[in-house]
Amino acid sequence: MTLANSLLLSSILFCIGIYGVLTRRQLIGMLLSIEIILNGANINFIAFAHFRAADPTAGAIFPIFVMAISAAEMALALAIIIAMHRQKNSKLDIQQLRRLNG
Amino acid sequence: MENTIFYWLAGALILMSLLTVSVQNLLHAAISLIGSFFATAALYLLLQMEFVALAQIMIYIGGIVVFMVITILLTAQLGAKNLFPKTWPQRLWGGSVCLSLLAVMWLTLQSNDLPPATPIAPTAEPASLTAVGFRLLSADGTGFLVPFEIISLLLLTALIGAVVVARRDPKPAAAGVPPVPADQVSGKESS
Repeated sequence: MTLANSLLLSSILFCIGIYGVLTRRQLIGMLLSIEIILNGANINFIAFAHFRAADPTAGAIFPIFVMAISAAEMALALAIIIAMHRQKNSKLDIQQLRRLNG
Repeated sequence: MENTIFYWLAGALILMSLLTVSVQNLLHAAISLIGSFFATAALYLLLQMEFVALAQIMIYIGGIVVFMVITILLTAQLGAKNLFPKTWPQRLWGGSVCLSLLAVMWLTLQSNDLPPATPIAPTAEPASLTAVGFRLLSADGTGFLVPFEIISLLLLTALIGAVVVARRDPKPAAAGVPPVPADQVSGKESS
């Protein structure tokens, strides 16, 4: 359990999330992958706060803000998904959704 | 002992995350995401961050994932025609992009020598619950009062915005008023 191991773990999680965002075709599946990315970033914060920081309290507070912003993002994104689902013939498949293209 | 627990937790975390991005059924993906969040909370406990571990369980598992599961059950008819399988070019491109990203990060971690494993402040106390609470709400130079208030404002804005976006329009065409931007997102009424 060293800092390098934790950093490797968080970068693996980040790459898994990137893979999910790139390959999922459902909107909600992409949101799940974004959660994995944020999770990896939080592990990074915590690992640095535990192994390196002179002040671990600040490192423990920062993931709280990440969680709050992620909660706000999820609320808005799921509201948009529900609003899209109300349209006719909307399957929530990103290859069929052209409405937000502008 | 700590090392063994860390490797088991890391293995479980990677396995659960891989399941989340790879299984076809979204409900199963959300359930494995819950498992990966539990493994992350255990990892935070191992790294002596009790408050973050509890917040992880309460906010992520109790709030966000439950909200996601409700939305999945509301929107996706879990039949065979709504599964949207990944196509093979997608998997190939996504896999190559993320593997090359991982390789770059791994090479950077290897080449950029981290200083030896002595912490800068070896006597720093692990963050206790009391210290986190006082620090979060203290208004002096090292406190986090202003970001805390901004976050509360952001959450309120997101709450109102979510209600406005997901709201049904009462009479979209009868009133004859020009649509507000939220209505452009929600579109016409289907029923």
